[in-house]
This record gives sequence, structure tokens and C-alpha cells, in this order.
Amino acid sequence: MEYLSILGGRGRRIDEQIAHDLRIHELLGDIFGKRNDDFLRSLYLEQLDNEEVAVFRLNVFRDLLKGEVLDAVAEFVEHVNKAARILETEKDAYEEHRIGMHVDAALIYTEAVETAWSRLRGLPIESEGLASFTRYLGEVAGSEKFRELGRRAREAAEARDQIKIRVWIEGDRIRVTREEHGEDLSALVDSLFSRFKGDGQGAEVKYIKTTGDASHIHAAILRGAFKMYRTQYDILRRFSEDFPSFIDGGIASFAKEAEFYLIYINYMKSLEQMGYRFTIPSFTDGGIYVRKFYNLLLAKRGSAVPNDIQTDGSRRIFVITGMNSGGKTTFATSFGQIAFLSKLGLPVPAVEAKIPFFSSIMTAYPVEEDVEESLSRLELDVARAKAIIERADSRSLVITNELFSNTTSDEGLLLTRLFFEELAKRGSYCLFVTFLHKAADLDGVITLVAQPSPEDPERPSYVIAPGRPPAEYMAARIARRYQLTYGKIREVVK
Amino acid sequence: MIEFDLLRTGAARPAAGADDLRRDLELDKIVAAASGGDELVAEVWREVLLLADASPDSISYRQDAVRDALRNRDAVLGLYRIANETVDAVRRRVFLFRPHDPAVVVHEAVNGLEVMVASLRDVLAVLKSTAFSSEAFRQMSKSVLDNINDEFLASAQELVKVLRFENGVQFSVRIGELNSLEDPVLLVPRKGESNILSKVLRRDEYVYRLDPRDEAGAYILDDIRKWVLANAASTIFKAFKHLDSFFQDLRRQLAFYVGAINLSGYFEKLGLPAAYPRLSKGALKFSGMHCLSLSISAGSRPVPYDLDVKAEGGFAVVVTGANRGGKTTFLKAVGQSLVLARAGLFVPADEFALPSTGAVYTHFPRREDRTLSYGKFEEEVKRLSAIVEGLRRGDYVLMDETFSSTNQVEASVVAEEVIAALVDSGVNVFYVTFLQDFLNRFLDRYRERAVLLVPEVRQDGTRTFRLVRGKPTPGYAIDIWRKYMAA
Repeated sequence: MEYLSILGGRGRRIDEQIAHDLRIHELLGDIFGKRNDDFLRSLYLEQLDNEEVAVFRLNVFRDLLKGEVLDAVAEFVEHVNKAARILETEKDAYEEHRIGMHVDAALIYTEAVETAWSRLRGLPIESEGLASFTRYLGEVAGSEKFRELGRRAREAAEARDQIKIRVWIEGDRIRVTREEHGEDLSALVDSLFSRFKGDGQGAEVKYIKTTGDASHIHAAILRGAFKMYRTQYDILRRFSEDFPSFIDGGIASFAKEAEFYLIYINYMKSLEQMGYRFTIPSFTDGGIYVRKFYNLLLAKRGSAVPNDIQTDGSRRIFVITGMNSGGKTTFATSFGQIAFLSKLGLPVPAVEAKIPFFSSIMTAYPVEEDVEESLSRLELDVARAKAIIERADSRSLVITNELFSNTTSDEGLLLTRLFFEELAKRGSYCLFVTFLHKAADLDGVITLVAQPSPEDPERPSYVIAPGRPPAEYMAARIARRYQLTYGKIREVVK
Repeated sequence: MIEFDLLRTGAARPAAGADDLRRDLELDKIVAAASGGDELVAEVWREVLLLADASPDSISYRQDAVRDALRNRDAVLGLYRIANETVDAVRRRVFLFRPHDPAVVVHEAVNGLEVMVASLRDVLAVLKSTAFSSEAFRQMSKSVLDNINDEFLASAQELVKVLRFENGVQFSVRIGELNSLEDPVLLVPRKGESNILSKVLRRDEYVYRLDPRDEAGAYILDDIRKWVLANAASTIFKAFKHLDSFFQDLRRQLAFYVGAINLSGYFEKLGLPAAYPRLSKGALKFSGMHCLSLSISAGSRPVPYDLDVKAEGGFAVVVTGANRGGKTTFLKAVGQSLVLARAGLFVPADEFALPSTGAVYTHFPRREDRTLSYGKFEEEVKRLSAIVEGLRRGDYVLMDETFSSTNQVEASVVAEEVIAALVDSGVNVFYVTFLQDFLNRFLDRYRERAVLLVPEVRQDGTRTFRLVRGKPTPGYAIDIWRKYMAA
């Protein structure tokens, strides 16, 4: 039986500008932490074109999110990787070390396979990916060759445990003998001075070896030990000769690919501990219904306010207005991230998520690059709108932030209306963040507004909810507080 | 195990508001007199004087020990000198410049052990020749003598020699995962066992000699040596620290009594009386009590104060009267004696009996400007409420013109409520105030549980700076008027 990739298939790399606008690299920074793995990183930038592959992966997640399956797989991958790393390093080791490293790699590997097989076969696995792998694992574990490997590795380790030597370092000379009946010097010190009180706090000398364990000097000491313990040495040596390599190819591939799932689940758990939730998205034929979604980057750093978004699919353009710094851009970006994650076949940060399998995600966020030599900002906006319209279809998601803001509001509103008409013709989805309040009055749009805090109307609540844009601007309120109203100025200026 | 506690201060938690107490009561002057410039004595004194908790038992324990120390002052000063010299010698000879290099740690710790083992002999000699009478000193002496004898000293000296590792290190080791060496155990060295036969057979021993040009090998060998020493280094370092903390504890605890010996000399020089305070349920009584800090500043014996009141569960001593009448000095004198009493020390009085051993708090004015503002009133109230948060029945609160940052009428209302609440809660209050409404109303309501003290004015109008019982009579308006005129 051949190994079937647990990834289900591969995708296409996301456009760099879109990744930047949606802050995907920061997100991956959170997901990957300090881990540096180019293969994994490239997987995470590949959006799938095929809905079935996304569903294949989400089904694997469904299995893994049952705790026991996850534990079994995570432990298995960790141990197989560990064994592989040992085999890699032993290539450069002294023979005295190599014969031991080989035994340890074999012990870790055989135990990992046996444990994973015995655990997984007893668990209710429903995904095609994991079911297939479990069958594969069973075949490997049942083979005669594999059983012999385990038996011999255990025998060698037992032989090694019998060795105990006394080493005497004096000047440049090392003497090795068998060790029997030595007297522990520290114990002697302790028994003499423990009559003085004190907890010895801070007395711990933590020495970290700077030269590792595998030098020629260590090898020389081992050589002395093996000379004292000939039989044990022969058992160790013969194991390496009889089993030069032993990790199965399919298992090695699985161990590498399964990290795609494991690393994300780890990330999910770190947020779930803080009280946030993830859900496995389901794909609709037009409607959007996402409940309590939130911004992952903010959640990781402390607090993210959850929001809802929905449409039955008859209207697909959302106009988002309201107070400055009220969470409008965060709302749109967070939804873009949800779309992106779903196109990787990953669970998304929400309590419930039903969305279309978007064909593409496109963005138009404010740009900081110089505008003197190339196009004017307004022109740039229009050029970007055009590029979007050209590629947009009935499964596209378009996210814009202050598009058409580089002109008068009448002009901006006009451009907005035209842009919306084009999108509507194609049936595309759009989140349009703007301070043009009149955009909310355009035909066929869903209007969402950043809500002020109920306790203090001058502060944002970060809740984005359906509604009309506010009647008064915040700047006017603040001006009034400082007596800069018509009446007050008239009273004061005499 | 050697255990002793000459101070019985418990966890030695500093009292809340300890900084205020130290400043308001001028405790630094007293500490300076007791320490005679010895920073350790000063440090321990500050700690004991500002203790949050002092039970009657721990106070009489220290009182007995203070008496004992004054009787055996040569032994106490001698032990303190040995402990000090040892700690200093250790400081000079032990340099833990690389605290994570086991070889350095072992070498330096063994230097220290050598010094301290030698000093133990001197400690033993003093203890053997002194007959202490207090529980504190007797127990300390017994614990040391029970645990250390000449045999111990001989073994310790021998072990110190072994720990110099003059013939290299010997250790046992096993082969663990990845064939790395593991579980190194430093062994008591065996003398060279290279008999001819084993060398010929080359079976019992494997010898590896480092090539002289193998610099990397030498470095690794050193690394292994340190690795082996690491575990033992912790143990040896721990032994060093144990012994070191024995001397540190000893000198620290003795420092308190050294301070008492010093202060006693100071009292004699100034001709101050010294009374050991006693706990007396329901009564606060002192006679001939002086303000110690003023005495130290002036180098003389200032005006004495007397008081004798029934103080059944909370009372108030209210002081009022003209400025420069010694009212604040009186508060300081009371506070200082209370603090000294709680420490287990003698106080500058002919007699001193106190109803409880509660903690002492001060609420003195912070700044000298006397303008009225609610901002300052808020600051005062905030500070007082911080004190109130930590108060317990039997505590003492010394208040100097509290609430004077707002007008007399509203301040009196607040003061009356606060002081009455404190007294009813079993707190003992000393309150210097000019608030007329308060004086009249409060002293009338609490005549059983409050007294009023005023500066004594002789028939001929001269002031004695003593305080005597007074009656709340109105008529201080002129004082208040002057007070604000002066500001």
C-alpha cells in the first residue's frame, strides 16, 4: 500500500500585496512562533483553488480536534522527527557514539510506530486522510522486519545499561576502570555541614557543558568503557551493522506534512486558553453567516471584540462607516483573514462560520508609496478598482479601505457608486470601509456602523453593527466641550 | 541542626507606614546613637523598631535577652567581633567571579570553608566560658555546643583538604542515551592503584593521554572536569552558604544587642532613666518620660512627661494649646517609647506601663504651608485612610493636627467621627489639635475614655513646657488666629 498525502493537494501562492494588506505575515508569525520551516511556511501561503481539498483538510482537523487523535498523532510526529534527527547527526559522530545513537533512534522510532498504531486503530477516525494513514501504519507495524528491529534495539540498550566506570582525570591523563564500591564525596560534604541551618537557596551551580557530549575525548572515555565491557560493546556494534537504515518513506512524509495541522492546532489552543473560539467553516452557495468572529492578531495580544456579519446572498456589498478608530478596518481585515484561512482548509476564529468558498480575495488598502512620479492617488485608486473589477466574479471577495478618499466627497461617492454597480453586476462580495457616510445610502448595500461605547459616547466599543451612520461627527462634540459652539463664542466674544 | 533566634521577630514584616514612622518620630537619631556608626547595627535596629507585629511574649523574650547582654557585654561584644571578622575574611577570600564555573565555585567555597571552620573554634571558646541567663542566649549557646565539637572540627578540616583535589578528580559515570556520559558522581579519591600486574595485562585499566598539541582536547577535558564538579559544587557551595549564613545570622542577631549595649552607655552619659516597660491591662502610665531624639540632639535631659490614665480598650489623649508648647515633642516621646517598648528595649522613663503591644502609626503634617485647600484635605484623608486600612484593636495612632487643611467647622465634624470611631474600635489615639468644635464635643462625649492635655502655665504666666490635664474651654481663637497670621 502506498502512502497518501495527508494534505490532500496543493494550492497557489497568495499575491504579496494582499498578504500584506490582510497582515498574513504577522499572522503566520504568531502561528509559527520561533519555528523556522520553509516547507510549512510555503504551505501556509498557498490558497487552494479546489473546495474539495479544503474540505479534505477540514475533515482531518475534525478528527484531530478530538483530543485523543491529536495526542496520538502529535506524539508520533514528534518521535519520528526525533529519531530522524538522531540518524542525521550520527553520520558525523565517532564510532563509539554512533553505535549508541543508532540504537536510540531505533528505540524511539519503533516505539513511536507501535504506540501510534495501537492508539489510532482504536479511535473513531472519519476523515479520509487519517483513515488511510492508519491503515498504512498498521501495515508497517505488522511487518516481520519491523518487529526484529525493535527486539534487537532493546537488547542493545540493556547491554549498555550494564556499563559503569570510574574515570580519573589528573592533568592530561584519563584513567578508566570498572567502578565498584565508590564513596560519594558530595554526600560526605553534605553530612558534615548540613547541621548548619539554611536552605542553600541560590547555591545551585548550573553548569552547561560547552563542548557537547560527542568529542574525541568523550569517545576515548567510551573506548575505555567498551574495553572493560567487551560483550556489551559487541551487541551494540552488531545492531548498527544489521540495521543500517530503518525509517519508512511514507512515515517520514507523513511526519513532515502532519505539522501543517499540528502547528495550527497549537496556535488555536493558545487562543482558546484565553477564552477565544475556533470553528470549522462550512461552505455555502452564496450566503454569509459568521457569528462572533474576531481579530487573531489582537486576540493574541490581549483583547479582541467579536462581531457578526451576515447576508443571505441577495445583497453582497457591505458599507462600513462610523467613528474614527472604531474598529472598521479591523473588522474588514479580520473577515479577510477568515476567508483566507478557509481557503487553506483551516478552522477560523469565530463561533460559527458559513461562507462561500471564495474564488479569490482582493484588497485595496491605502498605500504609502510615493505618488509624485507615478499616478496621483485618485488615479491609483481607480486603477486598483479597475484591476479588481477585471478579475472579480461571483465568488470573489473584495476588501477596500478608504478607497476613493483622495477627492471630494461628492466625487468619491460617485466613484463608489460606479464601483458598486460593477461589483453588483458580477455578483462579487465587498467590504467597503469608508468615512463617506453617504455611501451607506447607496442602493442595495448593507450598512454597518462602528458603535460608540454605551458608557462613554466619545469612546469606541469596537462593535460593528447594522445601522445608520451617526448624525453628528465626533470632532464637533469635542469642539462643543471646549465651548467652541456658535452660542458660546457669541457669549464670550463681546 | 544548629538553630537559634535571639530576636524572635517572626517574619519581620515592616509596619505599614514605616517610612512615616521613621521620619515623624526621628527614629534615625535613636538608631544612630545605638549603632555608633555600625551599619549592620543600624539596619537591624531599623528593622526591629519598625516591626509590624510584636507579641507580648516576643517582647519579654527580647527584654530578658537585653538584660542578659548588658550583664555579659564582653561575651556578646566578643562573639560579635568574631562573627564580623569571619564575615569580612570570607568576603576578602571568596570571589565568586564566575558563579557558574564549578571549578571556580569549588575553589572559592573551599577557601571560605577553611576560614569559617577555623573561626568556629573561637566561637566555641567564648560560649564554653560564658554563663548566659536569658532563654535566647542560653538556647543559642546550647544549640551550637550540641552540634559542634572538636571531632567535627577535625573532620571538617580534613575534608577541606580533600576538596582541594590536588591529585585530580575521580568520578563514576554511566553511558546513557546517544552514548553520552551521564550521572557523574564525584568520588572520594582512591590512591594510585597502578600495580605492575594490571599494567602488564592492560585489562583492568584503560589509560588515555592527551596529546600535548591537542588544545581542543585539553579544553574538552576541562569541560568534563567542570561538569563532574558541577553537582558537587552545588553541595560544597551549599555547605559554604550554610556556614556563611550561620555567621551572618549570628552577627545580625547579636547586632541588636550590641546596639542595646551602646544605647545603655548613652543613657548613662546623658543621665537618662531607663525603665523596662511592662504590659498592664487597662492602663497607660508613665512618669518621668523623655523625648529620646530631643535628648540626643540637645545632649541633655529634656522636660519629662507624666501620664496615668485608665485605658480600657481604646482611649484618646487629646493635646491642645499654644504653639511651641512641646505638643509635638510629646507625641514623639510617646511614639518613641512605644516603639522601643515593642522592640524589647528599655525606655527613657522612670516607669512605663502600656495597655497593649499594638503597632504604632503616625499622621503628621507633610508640608509646612498652611493654606486651606480641598486638594490638601484630600491628601490628608487619603493618607489617614491608608493607615486605617491596616489598623487593629490595640494599635496606637499619633496624629498631629490632622484635618487642619480645611476650616475648623467641617474639620471638626470629620475629626469627631474619625476619632470616635477609632476609640470605639479599641485603638489608642494621641491627637494634637486646635479644632474647637471637636475639642468641646468629643471630650464631652468621651469623658470616660479621653483626656485633654495642655501646656502648663504657671501663675506668673511662664511656661514649663510640661503638659498637664486641662479642660476643654473655648478661647483658643487667638491661638488659631495667630497661627494663620504666622503662616
